[in-house]
Amino acid sequence: MEKGKKAKKEKLKLAIYWGAACGGCCVSVLDVHERLLEIVASADLVFWPLALDIKYKDVEEMPDGFIDVCLFNGAIRNSENELMAVLLRQKSKILVAYGSCAHMGGIPGLANFHDRDSIFERVYMDTESTINPEKITPRPRFEIPEGELELPAFYNDVLTLGSIACVDYYIPGCPPESERLMEVFRAIVSGAELPYKESVIGALDKSQCDECKRTKTDNKSVKKFYRPWEIEDDGETCFLEQGVLCMGPATRGGCGVRCIEGNAPCRGCYGPPPDVTDPGAKMMSAIATMVDSNDPEEINMILNSIEDIAGTFYRFSLPASILRRKVMEETNVD
Amino acid sequence: MKDSRIGVYICWCGNNIAKMVDVEQLAEEIGKLENVIISRDYKYMCSDPGQELVIKDIKEHQLDRIVVAACSPRIHELTFRKALENAGLNQYLLEMANIREHVSWVHTDREIATVKAADLIRAAIEKVSYHEPLEKLSVDIDPATLIIGGGVAGMSAALSIAEAGKQVYLLERDEKLGGHAADIDLSFPYLNSVASFLGPMIKRVSEHKHIKVYKGTTIEDIFGYIGNFETSIKPNGGGKEELKFGHIIVATGLKAYDPTPIENYAYGRIKDVITSSEFEQMLLSGKILTKQGKVPEHVAIIHCVGSRNNDTHEYCSRTCCTTALKYANQLRSALPDAGIYDLYADMRAFGKGCEELYTSTSGRNIMFLMFDPEKNLPVVSEAKQDEECEMIIRMEEKMSGENIEVPADLVILMTAMEARDDAKDISHIAGISMCGNNFYIEKHPKLDPVATTTDGVYIVGTCQGPKDIPESISQARAAAARVLAGILRGTVAVEVTTAVVNEDICCGCQTCISVCPYSAITFDEEKNVSEVNEVICKGCGSCGSACPTGAIRSRHYTDRQILSQIKGMLNRGKLKITQTIIEEA
Amino acid sequence: MRRLNMEKFEPKIISFLCNWCSYTGADLAGTSRMKYAHNIRIIRVMCSGRVDPTFVLKSFREGADGVLICGCHPGDCHYHEGNYKCMRRVEFLKRYIKQMGIDERRIRLEWISASEGKQFAALADEMREQIASLGPCRVRKVIENVS
Repeated sequence: MEKGKKAKKEKLKLAIYWGAACGGCCVSVLDVHERLLEIVASADLVFWPLALDIKYKDVEEMPDGFIDVCLFNGAIRNSENELMAVLLRQKSKILVAYGSCAHMGGIPGLANFHDRDSIFERVYMDTESTINPEKITPRPRFEIPEGELELPAFYNDVLTLGSIACVDYYIPGCPPESERLMEVFRAIVSGAELPYKESVIGALDKSQCDECKRTKTDNKSVKKFYRPWEIEDDGETCFLEQGVLCMGPATRGGCGVRCIEGNAPCRGCYGPPPDVTDPGAKMMSAIATMVDSNDPEEINMILNSIEDIAGTFYRFSLPASILRRKVMEETNVD
Repeated sequence: MKDSRIGVYICWCGNNIAKMVDVEQLAEEIGKLENVIISRDYKYMCSDPGQELVIKDIKEHQLDRIVVAACSPRIHELTFRKALENAGLNQYLLEMANIREHVSWVHTDREIATVKAADLIRAAIEKVSYHEPLEKLSVDIDPATLIIGGGVAGMSAALSIAEAGKQVYLLERDEKLGGHAADIDLSFPYLNSVASFLGPMIKRVSEHKHIKVYKGTTIEDIFGYIGNFETSIKPNGGGKEELKFGHIIVATGLKAYDPTPIENYAYGRIKDVITSSEFEQMLLSGKILTKQGKVPEHVAIIHCVGSRNNDTHEYCSRTCCTTALKYANQLRSALPDAGIYDLYADMRAFGKGCEELYTSTSGRNIMFLMFDPEKNLPVVSEAKQDEECEMIIRMEEKMSGENIEVPADLVILMTAMEARDDAKDISHIAGISMCGNNFYIEKHPKLDPVATTTDGVYIVGTCQGPKDIPESISQARAAAARVLAGILRGTVAVEVTTAVVNEDICCGCQTCISVCPYSAITFDEEKNVSEVNEVICKGCGSCGSACPTGAIRSRHYTDRQILSQIKGMLNRGKLKITQTIIEEA
Repeated sequence: MRRLNMEKFEPKIISFLCNWCSYTGADLAGTSRMKYAHNIRIIRVMCSGRVDPTFVLKSFREGADGVLICGCHPGDCHYHEGNYKCMRRVEFLKRYIKQMGIDERRIRLEWISASEGKQFAALADEMREQIASLGPCRVRKVIENVS
């Protein structure tokens, strides 16, 4: 090999794909604006359905490890998501779970409060705008005169990317902050030493409060919890101290406290700090500690002011949580 | 699971464990688990040869973690920690599986018990692999001692410590020293005057150069830890005084039970029904008279008033039987012709010279009548006008099975000893725990009867449970010996199983600060993180579970350790235990 | 070879006991040779205030059918108020697991003092009965059978 050739850096091969996602993650890549030129200068986009016309078979034909970095956003909802996750894992040197859905299941993960049957029932039969007298639901295979049609199989559970494929790095956020993406990108391009595998990058170890400018004290005792619209936020005091549920303490920083800066409490999209297994459980524990009563009845009354605990505390992380989904079969007492 | 070299030791505890748990097979099967280098069973792990076995294995096989499956860690954790230390291994790299108190002694099916023991051992193995070496902190011991309570117990302890030349601060809430003993005329079983020894004792305490007595003084809070406690008091409502001391002896005593709620005995309704404390006053005054000033012709003594009954106190107050015998003797001497009736449930005249007192009392024309303290309490009522006595006690005499009526002009209720109303306050102030009945609980009922679960704090006398004067004094002197040993040593190693903040993670939300009952957590404004003062922290772990970021770790009980313990407990894998193959369904 | 009777459902119950009251109470049940249901597996924590909801959820995830948490009686906590913190967390947690389709009776918080060996033994039996009547908890199975 000639010395000169070796010194000329090859361009990075970049792929971006989506599973069960809203598209916001792809848009967040576009949100780097003019810095997209910087990306394109040092990287070739080899696969990105949103922007390039490349088919599955093109990916299949790539040699293993052909892609340097694949940003996979979206959760695993159906067999196509899984297939592509496994395929892209095989074809990529670095597989990045990009965004909350790939990281922890995200908003689509809230479907784990239901199962396939109840979702189909609702979506294809019950919704007010649906007319479906034959009660047709999607089927993976369907015969027509011209041959057999194939649809991805809809799974009972929403899964995280990490539970299907071995993920090298997680970039959290709903969507990830574009600035963080640029930092990670530059680090990879510059050949800087990357953190240990399976770690979260593009986010801070410290949680939101560290960056949050609101005034915080140790007086975190709450007699009643409020939805944000129920109080007049003074714009200065820690949300929790005003009785508004804010997931900030159990959520990594890195987003630039964008919700809180916009006077909305943190909802937890950036996921838990490094040592936390289940951010919802940690946050429940912290919030319960703030309940200002030792009397069982009063405690219950205070807790009554929190609506939809599971949905609030696991808004972005249900499929990655310890319980992962609702148990549909267990009889429940009401 | 982390890579480690674990030694597992399964104790037979003689036959205590081996009878119900197949220890041999267990040792063999556990030995097949990952990371278990050595797995042995042994007759008595806590014996010297048992500990030697561990020490030898650690050295020979470079073990770095030890699991001992034996009795409760509350009994022998320290023993085995010491063994680890002797082998040059950090003492916190030990975990115990409690297969005696929680398995062999409470279950009856050997296979099931063996399976359960295996689960507990697996959990211990999982947990210990995440244990971290911890270094104890050494702190100096302040040679002064605080004693709360100036009764016989408190004063005895004070004198023992002061005689050794060490400073004592003696706090008494009343205006005088002596406690309940000062209200007693004669002591049993030899009927000596209490005043004859109490008076000189009070004088010695009051005049001792190493004892500072604070009368009329209460305490509101104590800060610190063994060797370094401090408090501020307001003696007799005067100016504040700061005290520093290394040990605390709690000798707060008892309260006499108020028998008003027991309707059968009509206390408060019939004026000649009196309590034993009131009768002592009568004895001290030298005159046994009814409220109308008459010499009683019939006197009845009723035992177990407030004791040994589920509606009042389940426990026996221990001293009342012998005290009742003492009264019977004093009554007989004072009223040679009176009818004296002793209504008892069981005659518990234990202790040196007490059974002899019962025998001699029986020969003095006292009528002993038995009743059932659970089902059939005697009923005291006013006698009719035409009767010769003031009151009639109706009872079912248990020996004869007959319903009888006992005449009485004076009824003495042998009231129970119960915990003081402020027992709970003092327990919080001194950091000691209570039994269900508000008496303080000792560190170990047999092996450590005057120490408490808080290092440096001792309990003596009736605050721990009903007892007589000699027992209280014995406890006081035992505690004094423990305190003096501590002072002599000069330093003490304090547990470091405390909370610790990872500053790289702490986000400064301050949720933890108000959670700490000891104010051990403060906020560092500059670094924007919480800080734990390790010497003040007592390691409850409440802050660890309140911390939403995972920045606070409760050492030795970390999330990771407990989560792995849970995993170990519920995942049997394919351990072959006894005749049964346990497989996960 | 004898096999344990697998047909009869024997629940797995993880029990978190505080060191000062409840664990000592359970020890006392042992010292007093009281017999109780074998289903209880005890984990010692210093204070019931240490019991993190994570531990309870993890127990269900690993296959527990019930979780019994015991602390000192209200007002008797060795650390003053840890048991109250635990009470609030358990109330919170019950609401959460109910939403997750797990019967809230699978979590139980009780107060056991150091002298209540008898009460602990009775509680263990009662808890076994209660969980046995609820049947197996399906969390672990549901998680293992992804579809």
